[in-house]
Amino acid sequence: MVRCRYHATTSEGMRSVDDDTPVWASNLVKHFGSATAVNGVSLSVPRGMIYGVLGPNGAGKTTTLRMLLGIIDPDSGSRRLLGHSSPREASQRVGYLPEERGLYPAMKAREAIAFMGALRGLDWAEGRRRAGDLMDSAGLGHAVDRKIRQMSKGMAQLVQLLGSIVHRPELIVLDEPFSGLDPVNQEHLESLIRGECARGATILFSTHVMSHAERLCERLAIIAGGKRRFEGTVDEARGVLPMQAQYIACNRSDEAARLLPPDARFDGRSWRFDVPDGGAEKLLMSLIEAGHGVAGLTMQRPGLHDAFVRIVGDARRDDAEAAR
Amino acid sequence: MSGFFAQARVIARRDFKAVVATPTFLLFLLAPLFMIVMAVLGGTGASQAVSSAQDKVRIAAIASPDDAPLLQSTDADLRRLYPAEVRPPRLDVIPSHGKDDAQVAKALLAAANPDYAAVLHGPLNAPTILRESGSGAAYLSELAEQTLRNKQAGLAPGARLSRPVAEESDKASAGNAQARQVTGYGAVFAIFFLTLLLAGQAVGMLAEEKSNKVIEILAAAAPLESVFVGKLLGMFGVALLFVSFWIVLGGVGLAVLTGASGLPELHAAIGAPVFLLLCVAYFAMAFMLLGAIFLGVGAQASTMREIQMMSLPITIFQVAMFGLASKAAGQPGSATARFAEIFPFSSPFAMAARAANDAALWPHVAALLWQLLWVAITIWISAGLFRRGVLKSGPGLLSFLRRRKA
Repeated sequence: MVRCRYHATTSEGMRSVDDDTPVWASNLVKHFGSATAVNGVSLSVPRGMIYGVLGPNGAGKTTTLRMLLGIIDPDSGSRRLLGHSSPREASQRVGYLPEERGLYPAMKAREAIAFMGALRGLDWAEGRRRAGDLMDSAGLGHAVDRKIRQMSKGMAQLVQLLGSIVHRPELIVLDEPFSGLDPVNQEHLESLIRGECARGATILFSTHVMSHAERLCERLAIIAGGKRRFEGTVDEARGVLPMQAQYIACNRSDEAARLLPPDARFDGRSWRFDVPDGGAEKLLMSLIEAGHGVAGLTMQRPGLHDAFVRIVGDARRDDAEAAR
Repeated sequence: MSGFFAQARVIARRDFKAVVATPTFLLFLLAPLFMIVMAVLGGTGASQAVSSAQDKVRIAAIASPDDAPLLQSTDADLRRLYPAEVRPPRLDVIPSHGKDDAQVAKALLAAANPDYAAVLHGPLNAPTILRESGSGAAYLSELAEQTLRNKQAGLAPGARLSRPVAEESDKASAGNAQARQVTGYGAVFAIFFLTLLLAGQAVGMLAEEKSNKVIEILAAAAPLESVFVGKLLGMFGVALLFVSFWIVLGGVGLAVLTGASGLPELHAAIGAPVFLLLCVAYFAMAFMLLGAIFLGVGAQASTMREIQMMSLPITIFQVAMFGLASKAAGQPGSATARFAEIFPFSSPFAMAARAANDAALWPHVAALLWQLLWVAITIWISAGLFRRGVLKSGPGLLSFLRRRKA
């Protein structure tokens, strides 16, 4: 069992598999030749939730998702998808948008969506009908009979996403769904994900763009170096770092450094540092007494981006030390 | 299981439509027309060249006025026994000039036009044959012999000693052993030719999915075995359309040009209708078996060059299976025939030949089930190799073996 350094859940172990846990994995391991892509990742995704799998490039996110979906088998470890130990048995209740988008270029958009639905057990005619409705609601109604090769990359990506939800799956797995989309389409995709979640679907998506995860995810896991390094809510992830303070002295800012915490950084105008464990009051008193005054003071929670950088950075340092 | 076949059907349907609904399919469908046109043009040219050469080359017999009509009628009788392709050169009967016949014969042989290959002179009981080349001399010798026999028997030119009456035997409908073997060989060749022409296309069938990444969608939604079955069925649908088109076109063409008699007669021990049905079933099995190999091997390739490189060994394997089945067709009931009937990849060809030579039906039921089993095994192995080799699924072979050892 790989232990999480930053584990925000109440228990280290995974919850028992039941109807409330559509995705469950324990100690997944995958090697490609001599390289270890995934090393003991465990996940538990609650039903009806938007769950993010975050990690830097090459962290093992895609490999983890492919193992969960049964596209590839792990070298060791176990998994359950919608209650099935063989993920394939649940394939008709799952929608999947792979990282590398794939559509037949000669197919018309409506047919492509219906085809993906038919693969998951949806009737062709019903698939075509739903494809029209979905494309209308996605603003692509004018392109239902356009061939994929005649579409822009963003449009084709949306078509593929619609193909992955046309059969109204219980679980939607999206691998880097925002990559390659312009801000307007990203916004559109976010609302589509929220809509699917509101319908009752569980969403599992991977990304390395923190802003999407911060806006969408209720829970998330951070994977780095093939291992899970964090599991919890966005707030819990942000809680990994102390509050950040930004202090502007009234005069002689450079001399204030002697009173500030050792990690304080001066950016030419203000000082930035982690708020000490006991709070900022004592520090402020000493600054005022020393005559530096307080021209400005801001205290804020760190963002997910900072937490992610810290967690991944620590993970890399730990791995390097372990390698030594 | 129904889900397995439903997904295979979805993939087959997509593939079938993707192939058929393109302009290039028309080119594919009509490709044999170009072959036929070229063959007809080539055949006509070759036949004109042969017939022109045959007209120029002749043989001659210098005969007395008494022997000349007899020689001519015997020549007509003998000539009928030869197939058109190997018929002897035209015979010119030249009146005898008595003592000068030898000189005349030499002069004829030396002449350039007509070009005589051999010249006979002298009495029929002791003829002399001057020859230049070819088989004309042997024919002249046989002609002199036969003419002498007819003369000694007192036969007038054109008269015959006997009048044979042909009666049909019970086995006439099924043909004799030779006719059945010819039918069997024809079936082996037809199935091989169609399989060679059509199943080979399976080698590049997963290339599109691999290049445009659709394979990820397919692999996530359906078992790979189902994907492979769907791809094979889609391609088989295309093959059936192709074969049906040409059978109908060929049948109608032959019937129009030559009447019903132009259609080839089938001599099959099992009966013509059952034989035809079995041939269709064995074509399906041969297509699926060899197509599965082509598909499985082609799926491992990552570039078109690799696909082309991999096609050659499979084609050689296919030709080897044809060779084995052809031998089996020529030796029905032999150990070679039994082996070819049992070996899965030659079985469809060899069993088609067996249908022409043996009336029993149950071996065909058993063979079709046996071949179906091997289609499933081949697809299972191909999908497994793709899963491990291309998708890198499951532990690698080395780590698997290491774990087993541990």
